[in-house]
Amino acid sequence: MSLIDKYPYGKAPFALLAIAIVSVGIRVATARRHDDRPDLVIATHTDAHYDAYRKAIPRFEREHGVKVQLQLINWASLQARLQNSMLAGTETPDLAELFEGSLGYFTRGPVEDFGVMDITDRLQRDGLRERMVESRFSLWSARGRVYALPHDVHPVMLAYRTDLVAKLGIDVSQLDTWDKFVEAGQRISRDVDGDGVIDHYMIDLRFDGAWGLDTLMLQRGGQFFDQQGNVAFATEDTAELIRWYILQTRGPNKIGYDCGWGQPVAKAMIDGLVLFQWTPDWRSWVFQDEVPSLKGKMALMPLPAWKPGGRRTSVWGGTGLMIMKATKKPELAWELAKFLYTDTPELGKRFQATNIVPVLKDAWNLPEFERPNPYWSNLPIGKMYAALAPETPAVYSSPVDAQARINLDLAFTRSVDHYLKHGEAGLMDAIRANLADGAAAVRKYADRESKLREATR
Amino acid sequence: MKIRHKGPAPYLFLSPYLILTTIFFVVPFVNAIMLAFYETNGPRSRAFVGFDNFRFLLHDTNFHAALWNTTIFAVVSVCVQLPLAMALALLLNGGGSRLRGIFRLIFFSPNLVGQVLVGILFSVLFTPRYGLITRGFQAFLHWGIEARWLTDPALIMPAIVLASLWLWVGFNMVYFLAALQTVDKSLEEAARIDGASAWQVFWHVTLPSMRHVVVFVVIMTVIGSYQLFELPLTLLSESYGYGAKNAGLTLITYLNYNGFRSGDLGLGSAVGWVIALIIFTISLIQIRVARLTED
Amino acid sequence: MNGFHYALIALVLIWVVLRVRDRERARKFARWALIGAGALLVLAPFAWIVPAVFKTGDAFNDYVFFPPLSKWSDTMSLANFRKLSEGRPSLRGQVYFWEYFLNSTVIATVTTTLQIFFSSLAGYALAKFEFRGKALLMLFMLGSMMIPPVLLLAPLYKMVVDLGLVDSLAGVIVPIMVSTYGAFLFRQACVSVPNEMLDAARLDGCSEIGIYFRVVMPLVRPMAAAFCLVAFLTNWNAFFMPNVFLHSEDNLTVPVVLNLLLGVYRQKQGIFLAGTALAMIPPAVLFFFLQKEFISGLTSGAVKG
Repeated sequence: MSLIDKYPYGKAPFALLAIAIVSVGIRVATARRHDDRPDLVIATHTDAHYDAYRKAIPRFEREHGVKVQLQLINWASLQARLQNSMLAGTETPDLAELFEGSLGYFTRGPVEDFGVMDITDRLQRDGLRERMVESRFSLWSARGRVYALPHDVHPVMLAYRTDLVAKLGIDVSQLDTWDKFVEAGQRISRDVDGDGVIDHYMIDLRFDGAWGLDTLMLQRGGQFFDQQGNVAFATEDTAELIRWYILQTRGPNKIGYDCGWGQPVAKAMIDGLVLFQWTPDWRSWVFQDEVPSLKGKMALMPLPAWKPGGRRTSVWGGTGLMIMKATKKPELAWELAKFLYTDTPELGKRFQATNIVPVLKDAWNLPEFERPNPYWSNLPIGKMYAALAPETPAVYSSPVDAQARINLDLAFTRSVDHYLKHGEAGLMDAIRANLADGAAAVRKYADRESKLREATR
Repeated sequence: MKIRHKGPAPYLFLSPYLILTTIFFVVPFVNAIMLAFYETNGPRSRAFVGFDNFRFLLHDTNFHAALWNTTIFAVVSVCVQLPLAMALALLLNGGGSRLRGIFRLIFFSPNLVGQVLVGILFSVLFTPRYGLITRGFQAFLHWGIEARWLTDPALIMPAIVLASLWLWVGFNMVYFLAALQTVDKSLEEAARIDGASAWQVFWHVTLPSMRHVVVFVVIMTVIGSYQLFELPLTLLSESYGYGAKNAGLTLITYLNYNGFRSGDLGLGSAVGWVIALIIFTISLIQIRVARLTED
Repeated sequence: MNGFHYALIALVLIWVVLRVRDRERARKFARWALIGAGALLVLAPFAWIVPAVFKTGDAFNDYVFFPPLSKWSDTMSLANFRKLSEGRPSLRGQVYFWEYFLNSTVIATVTTTLQIFFSSLAGYALAKFEFRGKALLMLFMLGSMMIPPVLLLAPLYKMVVDLGLVDSLAGVIVPIMVSTYGAFLFRQACVSVPNEMLDAARLDGCSEIGIYFRVVMPLVRPMAAAFCLVAFLTNWNAFFMPNVFLHSEDNLTVPVVLNLLLGVYRQKQGIFLAGTALAMIPPAVLFFFLQKEFISGLTSGAVKG
């Protein structure tokens, strides 16, 4: 009897056992050595940042005589891992770069239990606060103190196809208010070739609200939370915005189309299905990278204002660098954070690689920002974004950020239902009621959090 | 008849299982249970809140939505997925064994891809205008080229159901097919000779002979449905797994989000309690019903 | 497909049903037509993946399946696979795709092998022995299957960290070394082993563990194969726990990396799909070889109730 037949569990388990032994052997043989604990561990989630920091860090290591380990971890995993490490009380990276909305998890409950370090005093002490765009600190603040170094500004402009816009007779220099924009949009959002399907839509608007609604609300000065952390989106102003948004996406003269995300957006742009796209600075890079065939045919314009002379930009997204409280070398970590975020010449190179506008105002005078960008019809998009950067609205955050966004979308969707059933009759009342309900729901979550804050351990 | 052993043999055989389960299941489980009565934030702070977590769940509309969605999904799974699986099994039962083998493989093949990858795959297939499913519906039913399967509240649950059908109809069909093979053909023949129609033969002869498998599959399907998580999470990854108007929210997604990801393990544990209780109750009911119909 | 086509198909079907004298043949035709239609629906996504992994760039959405041959040179290429093989950056050099495959293989095979061993031990004991606390134990086991595993993730993570196993393949394998589901399956299978054989072996002076290895296990090989397949599939496709427990790039498994790729290459879905296609191959191969055992294992187990 061969060995296989003698194996009690049968052929297949035997095969698995054999493969297991072989693969473990190969794995052990090819395992990489894990280096000894470095002085600092910093984790980031974007390839572009990883590349940039990898080039910069050796200089820091030399200057301070330390060893720094840089990790690239995808964002969801990074957040999950930090959260788990906190829950389990285990080692975390010393610094972690995360997206907006991540701060909430680390700033729940009593201040002593926050997982992230308070850097307000250090910012003041090193004179960094005045050199940065103030509104960005709102994203990374909790209870009046700052807990992460903002990375970027992310002002929002509209990208458009110059050739199509010219063909359809739109003069973008005239589109300085949303009223004029909607008017032009209604003119061209029609069925041109008579096949029953609208051929051109003016602008990309998410059907379920989401970032389209958020961006517009922030532009109007609306907020999810106020500076004290109270729920603040159930206002008359937001109700009017929701009504406007519903009409533009579902009304009889709608100008908005939902392109989705990723590949379908590229196709919509190439086919000319949608003329204008929401383009914060990072997305301009995305377009350059993923729709190269439109090079030279694209341009950017500031957002139309809601009132003449009003704010012409909004904000979308944000990355920040948090220093974990558990770090054993807080001062060194702070030095590294400053080194990575405020080394001015470096920031120019990073802009070149990502189109992202840094928070440090001094950097905006670098030559890279003036450079004409051939993709965007040779416009100096750096200067254009930088001009709008000081106006970006603040975004006050709270531990229950996600609930606020979810409930705003919920209120929006319920209002859409009302519109589809009853048209404009009673629409504003319905919207106000839905917003109030949404705000109440968020408040319930916020109350849980404050209960935790006050409870003794 | 089983042998009653006085010796240590059974305990020795069971000891690895018992030890490992105690370490890696019981201890975390007890930990999690205790948490249900606390509100937590990280390893240090926890506040004892008694039954507050449960009270919160009772009044939270998101939780109600999750409960509703998950129950609907379970009902649809049992009433649509299983009959489809049974129908396919019946259809395949007649054919020759080689053809049967090939088609069995075909229908089972989606299970080779994990739930996560199915979710991501289907999120691509549901792309408006260009996705395979969108185009398929347009080609055969002249509807839905602009359908937003993943952002329209009315279509989100159908999208999840479609993806789950693709995954699990084949899986359950294999069980049913195996069971059908063991049904006594002579009984069926006798019934047919007595003049029973095909449906009557199925309902009164075939199905009762497969009782054990059917009960087993139904129970497993219900338990699985209440634990549905990775599929809607990856399908609706752009809306936190909730879906517009909470249409895609399932109990475990709720647990993951409000318990785990927000640091409030206490609430998560409370949700876990509720889920376990629901599953336990339903399973008990099902077993009772199965026992009753046996006679 | 429009109304004209539907009318044509309906006419053909009616002709077939009316003209064909033999009801049996018509029924057979209808049955295979239905099965065929079902199979096409199930295979459609796979059929879509095959050309999708070769399509590049803008052409991705232009053609549903394959582009016309004339356009192949513009739109089809191995670019997606090339991008996949470029490797991802990590602290200790580039990590290539085969390494994720290796990690997945290690986890899936080792875990399954261990699960077979421990679960069969437990299942045999439950099937063939009466002892104090048995009913309670079985109730406990049944109840434990109803607990959502997500609940246990945080305490388990802390435990794995305390054991020093975090960010290692062992950290993923060790907590799931036993499978209650497997124990039940093996119990089902062992129940049908005739007691006379056990008695005879005992009379021959065989030790209990010897009986287990030499008498019982060979008899339940079909169930072992069935469980082998199910466990391998589960462990190969496992996502949530590896995602949380594994940190370093060179330790990641295939589903975790693919999820990562989707985030990075949202626009270039072809790359992600190429990885998915590759990830499907080992389970498919295993299933191809184990089909028969899988079915007979299920038959011997679940059917007997």
